[in-house]
Amino acid sequence: MKIVRHNLAIRFVHWVTALSIFVLIFTGFGQMPMYKRYNVDQIPGLGWSSDFMVTLNIHYVAAAILIFISLYYITYLIGTRRWDILPRRGDIKESIQIFASMVGLAEEPKNRKYLAEQRVAFLITAVSVAMLIVTGLIKVYKNLPGVDVSASLVFWIAQIHNLFTVILLLSIIVHLLAFLIKDNRPLVSSMFTGQIDRAYVERRHELWLAELAGPAIATEEKALIVEETEILEKVENKEESATGESNETIGDCEAIEENKVIERNEITADLNTV
Amino acid sequence: MAITRRTFLKRAALSGVTAAVVLSGTEKAAAQMSPHQEYATIIDLTKCDGCSHLDTPACVSACRSKNQPRFPQPEKPIGDYWPQPFHEDWSDKQQIIDRLTPYNWTYVQHLEVEHQGRKVRVHIPRRCMHCDNPPCSGLCPFGVIDNTPEGAVVIDTDMCFGGAKCRDVCPWGIPQRQAGVGLYKKVAPKFAGGGVMYKCDMCIDLIQEGKEPACVAACPNQAITLGTKEEMRAYAHRWADENQGHIYGDLENGGTATFYLSQIPFENIDQAIKEQENDGKPGRPSMEVGINNPLDEPGNMAKAFAIAPVAGVLAAGLSVYKIMQGEEQHEDSEA
Repeated sequence: MKIVRHNLAIRFVHWVTALSIFVLIFTGFGQMPMYKRYNVDQIPGLGWSSDFMVTLNIHYVAAAILIFISLYYITYLIGTRRWDILPRRGDIKESIQIFASMVGLAEEPKNRKYLAEQRVAFLITAVSVAMLIVTGLIKVYKNLPGVDVSASLVFWIAQIHNLFTVILLLSIIVHLLAFLIKDNRPLVSSMFTGQIDRAYVERRHELWLAELAGPAIATEEKALIVEETEILEKVENKEESATGESNETIGDCEAIEENKVIERNEITADLNTV
Repeated sequence: MAITRRTFLKRAALSGVTAAVVLSGTEKAAAQMSPHQEYATIIDLTKCDGCSHLDTPACVSACRSKNQPRFPQPEKPIGDYWPQPFHEDWSDKQQIIDRLTPYNWTYVQHLEVEHQGRKVRVHIPRRCMHCDNPPCSGLCPFGVIDNTPEGAVVIDTDMCFGGAKCRDVCPWGIPQRQAGVGLYKKVAPKFAGGGVMYKCDMCIDLIQEGKEPACVAACPNQAITLGTKEEMRAYAHRWADENQGHIYGDLENGGTATFYLSQIPFENIDQAIKEQENDGKPGRPSMEVGINNPLDEPGNMAKAFAIAPVAGVLAAGLSVYKIMQGEEQHEDSEA
């Protein structure tokens, strides 16, 4: 049985962000004279990489896309009030516990939808992106015809933009390294399909599962998530019964209703054990 | 008709323009100069004779002796720009005066230019144009080229890493690199950076003291003139109108603080530079008429930055509305 972990909006945000940041980092590094020196422009298909104006224009396009998706995401968070990704009190301490558990020094704490270290990592990444956007916009502004800003502003904005590029790059590397840990791998496919095995959630995201069913979160949100899960099940059920005859639709629906009841009972049971 | 300084002064006085003051010597110029004034130079090619009687043109000598203390003193041996098998070292060629080098921030092009069926000798002092929106400054990855309020574009040689990007993005390829000096030596000299970039800084220190740049003061023919930007531009246009002459530097690269005046069209001059001067290496700038500023295209694109956030909010608003309406079943066909 599958549970919805990332809806389409979130997957859209994740992959557009990933793509735009990849392009921004590649073209951003291209703003330093390194692709010619290191023969990157000799690689077939990358001849353009040492042309500063080409990489700058691409950098601008990708930056506009990153701004678009950042505002999309912020609006999404505010609109849906799904704050699971934001850090909570005690997350630093819990993150240390998670890292200790990786080397067998501690037990992994019970997790919500995201692990404490994921929430902390998100904050670092989000702050980096925000700083890069702000400093980047100042860089764009100062290069417009007729705009003059002070030398020290130009200097410090460039340094801050470069510094947060390094921080963001490190946070992306850590993000990717997380998938060296076998237990994290089911999460990779969830960012493509949106779904994750219920068994995985039961084992690793106990608190999230409880939230899905319990009163700990707003009822409308719970209803949404349960509904998403139900829709998935409906699709699964349909696939399973695809060999059957089409006039059994009513029967199918009844079966779905039944499943839903069982599902709810299960969730309640889970909650009780918690 | 070639304009003399006297007739210019007379005209300027008649038209009530105070431009005359800055042309009448250092003392008065100093009185007129306030620290936040924007300056420009006029280089009148009808007056420049290339100092044919001298081994080194006066402006070049003056520039070299004034800036001598700031010339690079590389430690040797100098390593290559790994993995490339070269580095740019001019320290053994400091005497070169027929191109821009880290040791020669201005030079005079001596050309034979076709004009009205005749070959005319033309001498052109060349150096940084000090652009209004300098691509070198705008695109320096470390933000260490300052477009000063005075209009001078100045490289911070202490912070320059010597990647030479400024030279690549400059329409005239003005800044020149010396390896073996500068900040990169202290970081990872084999792998990153390449030295320090050097070019004319309009003698910003002298201007701030209320004095004229070295080349301006040294020119025996008053071919190079410093004044406020507006006065210089006004003079250039008036001169061009009265003499059916041509201006270079007013529109080029989106505007500069250098106005070349010539009776001969700059198209012909550019042609001559490309035929007689260009050796395929940096340091011998052409004079392409109406050359575009590489920052223009990204500047136009910057408008997208106003649209992007609005589009983001609107699109998300729609998504959120649909999600809150419980319409996720249609979600997969959206976005």
